[in-house]
This record gives sequence, C-alpha cells and structure tokens, in this order.
Amino acid sequence: MHELSIALEVCRMAEERLGRDALGSIVGLGLQVGDDAGIEADNLEFCLEALLSSPPFTGAKPVIERLPGDVLRLSYLEVENGDPDD
Amino acid sequence: MAIRTIEVREKVMARNDELAATVRDRLRENGVTALNLVSSPGAGKTLLLERTLAELGEELRIAVVAGDVQTHNDASRLEGLTDRLVQAVVTGGACHMDARQVSTALDAIDLDRTDLVFIENVGNLVCPASWDLGEAEKVVLFSVPEGEDKPVKYPRMFREAGCAVLNKIDLLPYVPFDLDRAIGYLREVNPEQQLFLTSALSGEGLDEWYAYLRSKIGAGISG
Repeated sequence: MHELSIALEVCRMAEERLGRDALGSIVGLGLQVGDDAGIEADNLEFCLEALLSSPPFTGAKPVIERLPGDVLRLSYLEVENGDPDD
Repeated sequence: MAIRTIEVREKVMARNDELAATVRDRLRENGVTALNLVSSPGAGKTLLLERTLAELGEELRIAVVAGDVQTHNDASRLEGLTDRLVQAVVTGGACHMDARQVSTALDAIDLDRTDLVFIENVGNLVCPASWDLGEAEKVVLFSVPEGEDKPVKYPRMFREAGCAVLNKIDLLPYVPFDLDRAIGYLREVNPEQQLFLTSALSGEGLDEWYAYLRSKIGAGISG
C-alpha cells in the first residue's frame, strides 16, 4: 500500500548518492525486497518505473531481487559514465 | 557508453529510522512516554482518546499528535478535552505517518511539561507497521464489528505492538463475534501480548487500560 512512498525514498537516496545532475545517467537500479517487508514487489516495480521514466530520470530499469525475511534495501545503482566503451 | 555499477547496500528505511531514533532520544531526555495508536479505520481510536483525555487528563499531562489522511476532524474532536496541545498531521494521501512528521509535531509540544504523547496514526493495519515513529511502543486496536480474525490477517502489526485493545465490546450481544476465537487468533501470532477488552462508548474495561497507561509513565519508557 505504501509502495509509492518507498519508491520516492529510493529516488531520494539515489539523488543523495549521485547528486541531482547525475540522475539522468542512471540506467539500472537494484533493490532487495524481503517476503516479510510488507511490500508488494510488482506494485513497487510499477511505481519505480513511473518515477524513473520522468525527469530528471531517463528511464532507468528497476531490478527487484526477492529474499526471505524483512529486508528492504537499495543494493546498487548502474550509471552510464559518459566514457566510450573502448 | 560504459556502464558503472555503484554498490549502495543501504536500507530504504534508514533515514526514517535515524529520525525515529532522534525522536526517541528527545522523548527519553524529557521523560515522556509516546504510544503509537494503530488500527483499521473506525475501530475507535479517537473515541478511546476522547475518553482517556476526559478521565485521565487531570492526573496525567497528555498531548496528542493526531494523523489523518485528510481533514482535521480527529484533532478537533480532541482539542476541547485537553489543555495540552493537540497537533494535527494531515498526511495528504499517505497511508501512514513517518518519523519526520512526528518530529515536527513534537517541536510545538512542551515536552518538559508532558507525561504522555499519543500518536494517533492513520487508520491502517498494514503500512504503519513499517514506520518507526520513535514511540515507546505501538498499541493496536481492533473492534468487535470487524470480526475475529484481524490478528491473523495483519500478523506483523499484532506481533510488533506492545499491547492490543479489543474495542466495542458493548456490541458483543448484538453481532456474531466469538470472543474465544478472537483471543485464539491473537495468541497464534503473539502468545504473550497483553489484551484489553474495552468499550470506549460505555466505559467498560477502561480502568485496566488506564492502569496500563499509568504503568508506562516514567519507568515504563522502554523505547
């Protein structure tokens, strides 16, 4: 029920980590969600997709890993660093 | 473009939990006990608080932080019953209160001259379980017309709460509600939890509830 609050907090954490100017470079975002975390994973994914497709984000993909227990954690951010591959 | 992975590994609730810890410290320093009252909508939180303020307000200095999704209705009902502050928090659609709202509400309360703060949470038995508000403990209410099985339907809330209140027992003769079955469900999820059987309307069972509140003042701050 409070998945949108959680999704907003995840976006805030990303901003705190990278700074607002770098949010557009996020391409992926990994979360760990416990079975007893009180979170509906599909709903959280839906909320995150909606937020991450709006500026300053540019469509980063959320990846949710289900785990036992009540863990609820932002595990990683994937960013395009602007450098060529080779 | 090269893609770089940044390890974060941070709890999503970390910021709320930090704020809740700050709230808990403030309350402890001032010798204030805070109870976080949670239930589904309509279980009788506000009426229980009205009775409690009216009947215990002379003895204990009680302040209230009343949370609602919309309206100040609950805060308005309580205001006339206490000379202590009633702080209204409108969550604006959110299904729970968070530690920041409580922290802000406490700024306006003279904690030095307060014994007990009730945080009346938004009516919801799911989401408020996830948000630590800095309270000494949660008090979970359920009521006779809701049916016997609330504890097994919302086990996390009933597991986390320090005590449970079954309210509206004045309706027992009129509705199909099996009290033994309700208690059995509660024991399934929380074998030791203290249970109060009350009617905030008739006043039945409230003496035990008041005794519990008195026991939580000062020495009862477990946080």
